[in-house]
Amino acid sequence: MKKFPALTILTLLVLVGVVACGPTPAPTAAPTKAPAPPTETPTAAPAPPTEAPTATPVPAGPAGKVVIAIGGDPSTLDPQYADDGNERAVNDNIYEMLLFRDPKTMEIGPGLAESWKQVDPTTWEFKLRQGVKFHNGEPFNAEAVVFSVKRIIDPAFKSEQLSFVATLKDAKAVDDYTVQVITDGPDPILPARLTWMKIVPPKYTTENAKDFPNNPVGTGPYKFVEWKKGDHVTLVANEEYWGGAPKIKDVIIRPIPEEATRLAALKAGEVDLVRGLIPEYVQDVPKSAYIPGLEFPWIRINANKGKLADVRVRQALNYAVDKEALAQSLYLGYAIPADGQILTKGHFGYNPNVKAYPYDPEKAKALLKEAGAEGLTLELIGESGRWLKDKELIEAVAGQLTEVGVNVQVKIVEWSAWLDLLFAGAAKAPDLQFSSHDNVLLDADRTLSALFHSKGSQAAYSNPEVDKLVDEARTETDVKKREEMYHKVVQIVHDEAACIFLLNLDDVYGLSKRLEWTPRLDGRILVKEMTLTE
Amino acid sequence: MTNYLIRRLIWSVAVVVGVSVVVFIVTHAIGDPVRLMLPLEATQEEYLEKRHAWGFDRPLYVQFADFAFKAVQGDFGDSLWQKTPALELVIERLPASFLLSFVAIFIAIAGSIPLGILAALRPRSLLDRLCVMGSLLGVCIPVFWLGMMLILAFAVELGWFYTSGYGTWRHLALPAITLAALPMGRITQIVRSSMLDELHRQYMMTARAKGLTEGYIIVRHALKNAAIPIVTLAAWELTRMLAGYTIVVEKVFAWPGFGLLAMQAIERHDLPLIQADVFVVALIVVVLNIAIDFIYAALDPRVRFE
Repeated sequence: MKKFPALTILTLLVLVGVVACGPTPAPTAAPTKAPAPPTETPTAAPAPPTEAPTATPVPAGPAGKVVIAIGGDPSTLDPQYADDGNERAVNDNIYEMLLFRDPKTMEIGPGLAESWKQVDPTTWEFKLRQGVKFHNGEPFNAEAVVFSVKRIIDPAFKSEQLSFVATLKDAKAVDDYTVQVITDGPDPILPARLTWMKIVPPKYTTENAKDFPNNPVGTGPYKFVEWKKGDHVTLVANEEYWGGAPKIKDVIIRPIPEEATRLAALKAGEVDLVRGLIPEYVQDVPKSAYIPGLEFPWIRINANKGKLADVRVRQALNYAVDKEALAQSLYLGYAIPADGQILTKGHFGYNPNVKAYPYDPEKAKALLKEAGAEGLTLELIGESGRWLKDKELIEAVAGQLTEVGVNVQVKIVEWSAWLDLLFAGAAKAPDLQFSSHDNVLLDADRTLSALFHSKGSQAAYSNPEVDKLVDEARTETDVKKREEMYHKVVQIVHDEAACIFLLNLDDVYGLSKRLEWTPRLDGRILVKEMTLTE
Repeated sequence: MTNYLIRRLIWSVAVVVGVSVVVFIVTHAIGDPVRLMLPLEATQEEYLEKRHAWGFDRPLYVQFADFAFKAVQGDFGDSLWQKTPALELVIERLPASFLLSFVAIFIAIAGSIPLGILAALRPRSLLDRLCVMGSLLGVCIPVFWLGMMLILAFAVELGWFYTSGYGTWRHLALPAITLAALPMGRITQIVRSSMLDELHRQYMMTARAKGLTEGYIIVRHALKNAAIPIVTLAAWELTRMLAGYTIVVEKVFAWPGFGLLAMQAIERHDLPLIQADVFVVALIVVVLNIAIDFIYAALDPRVRFE
């Protein structure tokens, strides 16, 4: 950006050539020059319509408009089908779940359900909030919940979200506002799963099956207005929202696939919120906000293979990586070393006693020597462009490993080849493979069973004790006991150096000056939590 | 003429079918897209189930037969990413891309013809050198970079236009200019060189001897005779835009055309959508080519259809 004046001049020169004779709208056509930020509809002032003059401060209804930039078009607006962050950015504002997480602590609390209790190991009972209506007037009740559960687990529906609700087996209405959800085995994280599953209106969904994915109807604080594919989704405040009308009236969600353009749109005042901001851009935007995110870049070790089966070698690899330096130099401080586990403090099962391997190249060398693994050659498979600065990170780590005498050969492969290797199974897994993990269920089970259970889809490590503990914890309904089990697993995985622990990245957002908002740990963008200052 | 048309049509169908077959084979050879669609933590069972549901576990020739049978009826299947019929998605996006491409080619032609003529009239003058340099620059500047610079200058700093999006001429201006830069450079060059050729021909002298005005001679005689290479190039540039050159511009400006859709389809390995897109592009190219032939005939009476 600092080079900007020179570049502008160059551009202008080019333009003189390009525009001079063209019949393009002459720039002079726009009479007012700079300040007026080109908001999409030229509504001049956000004055509350007509009702203003009455002197007493009547509780003003929702006002103003917020524009949110996302990375791509939503894949669908069916809230139960896709696993897609762009879809969630829209539907998190339209639909709601039985249970919500607290924006700050991430603790699970009431949502569309007012209270819940476990009746027996596989049955949970929910008391539903009364008087809630879907946007089309359909009542929210036990029937809606039963329908939503049955719909998402229906094999014929083929939901991509199945892994989030895998244990759900059935649901039945006890009365109009009491529902029992049944799992196919004891499932202690059912509440977490239900903070994920969105409730759809049964009548509307059935009658408009074909149209439903393009015309969402939920119970949430915002109502769907239109979806102009590839260009924008428009929402409007639901003034009858059971939790009180939100403060902002109109919401425009715009897919802008190019990162630099998103930034430009924010600077030009066309957009109020941009997520996934590159740290380098932070000083460039009107305002920024960040929060420790859920993204954990990590390197899988094939712990069954050659010298890597030796725990000392794996530990050496961990001591050799200077996590702090990576966080500072690559991510400009918008990342922290992972605490020797791929979980944040907000995850159930996070072990506060486990700390990151300190950076200690001497110790790494000593361990390698002890294991007779000096001059070890390892292949490190990576990909490029999927995650923030992934390639740079891979190369930096490879450099640090080389410094302690490990000969690392980095191979950046194309995404589908990378996927094939990740899921190839322990026998065919490469020595080292870079990946990134984010566990949005906020429960250790998803992470540990996918990454470190010997049967996990991405696992290249096997330890009967870990397997046993993970299996048992999955069905242990005593919260305290279950947490202890995870603490134990986390400790083992750490001590055994089952992978190379790297970083925990922050979610960085760019905000317009007028937007007040605190990001959430779970990355949800909830407009009801935002306010506009002008 | 009728004969010619029939032959042309048969040939066109062969091209469209051929392209579709090649794309089917290439995309399926790369691997199945199921893993791309599922969360990384999805289990092997979920993967196999999904793979089965989408039919990617069938032998390739069965998949092809199925594809061909349905494609003939205009059904390319549902987009894996957008979950709706792929062909509809592509068609929905056509107007935006057409608008952008036609405005861009219009800017390019309207800009390059006067520039090229002026340059040809005064070869080696300062104006000529500037035109040659400018057109070279237009050809050489990376589109992405040009787009970003225009955004920074005219949307962020000056606020005259929007950075991105679709709707008004203030949305359209920057992407259209960006897209026009390269064809304008090329067309300026060809206008200049073909005009130079024509201006030195004997009929020019005859025309002048008849006492016609210089402007009339240049436009009615020289330009008309120089038109064939210019039209060829302009048509080719338009075809190129519609066949994918818009992709970068559409991405930079978040322009909801089918180029952007194609790029996202490729990123997501959305096979039905890629196939529908390629089919539509092939169709557009074929139709444009036929149209160009007719324009030739209109411009040059010597051209005959046989």
